[in-house]
Amino acid sequence: MSFLSLVVKNPFRNKTRSALAIVGIAIGIMVIVALGMVTGGLKSSTQSTLKAGAAEITALQTGSNSFGSGGTLNESLVNDLLSTNGVKDTAGILRATNTSSSASSLGSNSSQSSFGPGGSISITGIDSGKLSLVGIDNVNGSAFNNGSTDEIIIGKTFAQDQNLTVGNTINLYGKDFKITGTFETGSFITDAGIYMPLSTLQNLTSNDNKISAILVKVTDNANVTTVSQNIESSYPNQLTTTTAEATAGRINQGLGFIDTASWAISLLAIFIGAVGVINTMIMSVYERTREIGVLKAVGWTDKRILGMILGESIVLTLIAFVVGTIIAVVGVEILLTYSPSVSGIIKPSFALDIFARAFLVAFLVGVIGGLYPAYRASRLSPTEALRYE
Amino acid sequence: MNNTENVIEIKNLKKSYDHGNIKALNGIDLTVKKGEFISIMGPSGAGKSTLLNMIGALDTADEGIIKVAGIDLMKTKKLNQFRSQEIGFVFQMHNLIPNLSVIENVEIPMYETNANSSEMRERALELLKSVNLEKKIEQKPTKLSGGERQRVAIARALVNHPSIILADEPTGSLDSKTGEVILNLLKELHTQENVTLVMVTHEPYVGNMAERLVTVLDGKCKTDEKLR
Ligand SMILES: Nc1ncnc2c1ncn2[C@@H]1O[C@H](COP(=O)(O)OP(=O)(O)OP(=O)(O)O)[C@@H](O)[C@H]1O
Ligand SMILES: [Mg+2]
Repeated sequence: MSFLSLVVKNPFRNKTRSALAIVGIAIGIMVIVALGMVTGGLKSSTQSTLKAGAAEITALQTGSNSFGSGGTLNESLVNDLLSTNGVKDTAGILRATNTSSSASSLGSNSSQSSFGPGGSISITGIDSGKLSLVGIDNVNGSAFNNGSTDEIIIGKTFAQDQNLTVGNTINLYGKDFKITGTFETGSFITDAGIYMPLSTLQNLTSNDNKISAILVKVTDNANVTTVSQNIESSYPNQLTTTTAEATAGRINQGLGFIDTASWAISLLAIFIGAVGVINTMIMSVYERTREIGVLKAVGWTDKRILGMILGESIVLTLIAFVVGTIIAVVGVEILLTYSPSVSGIIKPSFALDIFARAFLVAFLVGVIGGLYPAYRASRLSPTEALRYE
Repeated sequence: MNNTENVIEIKNLKKSYDHGNIKALNGIDLTVKKGEFISIMGPSGAGKSTLLNMIGALDTADEGIIKVAGIDLMKTKKLNQFRSQEIGFVFQMHNLIPNLSVIENVEIPMYETNANSSEMRERALELLKSVNLEKKIEQKPTKLSGGERQRVAIARALVNHPSIILADEPTGSLDSKTGEVILNLLKELHTQENVTLVMVTHEPYVGNMAERLVTVLDGKCKTDEKLR
């Protein structure tokens, strides 16, 4: 039998005690992994709103809320803005919401939609040629025709949530719309929405020639901040700009907080886990005092005894890592499967660094928790250990 | 005296415990020839176990001379290497590791050698055959009788080809019939493997099976007689 198999075998001698230590550490690992998967997913979602091709600047009516809904701006501004220095392209969008009561007849799914805050669906009107400015580069199927009055495309999350696909129809504002395509941008907000021709939405919501926001794409060499300041100074008291970067920055700041919290939890887990492991391993060494005396009598070096106890401690925490990770992954998946409203917002991340971090935590707990008991075992006097009853 | 012939040389060896209040060894002298089988007897507390522990380098003496297998134990720093290569212990209690199988227990001392897993297994099996336990190699020690456990302990003691077997009351926890089997086995293997055997015992009939009988009293050698 190799030394390694001996080390792996030993923690199973006292199964209850080892299991308790493993459960304690596994809970910590589970929290670290689950939080990491969720925040990681949110991060990549905000990151994808910053992707190339999409508009860098959103201009809104000064004084309107940050999301911008309803027709608050005159459509003519869309062309006016093109003459501003550094602006490459612009698109006017109209945002509207349709409540779930009228959307309950949606799709083939008989269950009541619980989608989005307050059960409302976000509908955006945009020129089909400008879809790339909201980050929609590829449409699965085809985009709507600008002149049509009954064509829409829908985001992947919305499609999955409502069990809809290309060719289905859904009822909005009392009218049937045909789904000509679906898309996926990676942004959880965009992917949960419906897009249709601007003029159609303007008609339906009585917002003729009115838009909610203007999306601005800057020229390749232009500085986004400079361009957005140019726009604001050209239209004082009329347009207020936000940059995608700033928005993402704000979201990331919030996520950064969760990140810090998750590190704090990791540290706490290391601490609590290490205390548990120290306790478990000291008990184990104490019980095996005579045995350690025998190992010394047959010629084992102090280093080997230290290595054995330390190894056993690391084996415990690595089992906890595996158990905790599996529970976290399965738990997050179950949560998403049985709660579509959550799955619309969260796409869990399986990034390697999340698991690497949890592994590091587990390993550190093993080393820190095992070091002292291992040292004690290695320093036992052989005669004292052999006399131990 | 020929040094190569004497595997143990002890002169005026002293060891005290409890800040000098207990003189466990009080100037003991003992010389053992290579391949000899000697038994050590004496009343409880006389220092017999302490003497064995000194020979096996489980503890260090306070003063005196102790050379075992050519190594000066008062000077060497590599005590574990010495124990691993030169000494095999058999204790009164078998001291086997309960979660390991019989053969794994016998392999334990070989981790400090260069042997790989299959060499370890091969050697352990060889010894378990010579103690008639080849049918129980995968058993856990808890399933064995006292005599069988002690046979495993003997196999473990011999596995690294030691020059000396130190047995501290190896039959102490066995009934006399089983004790006799163990004793005969030790005697047989000592001849077969050409290893020196030093055995502590309380029972005169056991002590009388040796080639030489040393009695210890108050940390000193009292008598030393050749039996055969
Ligand atoms: N580690 C120790 N600490 C303190 N005292 C000890 C220690 N080891 C041995 N002694 C003392 O040294 C003396 C000799 O002990 P030792 O164990 O060598 O006796 P023994 O001859 O083997 O006795 P027994 O036949 O009962 O086994 C005893 O008085 C014992 O109490
Ligand atoms: Mg004794």
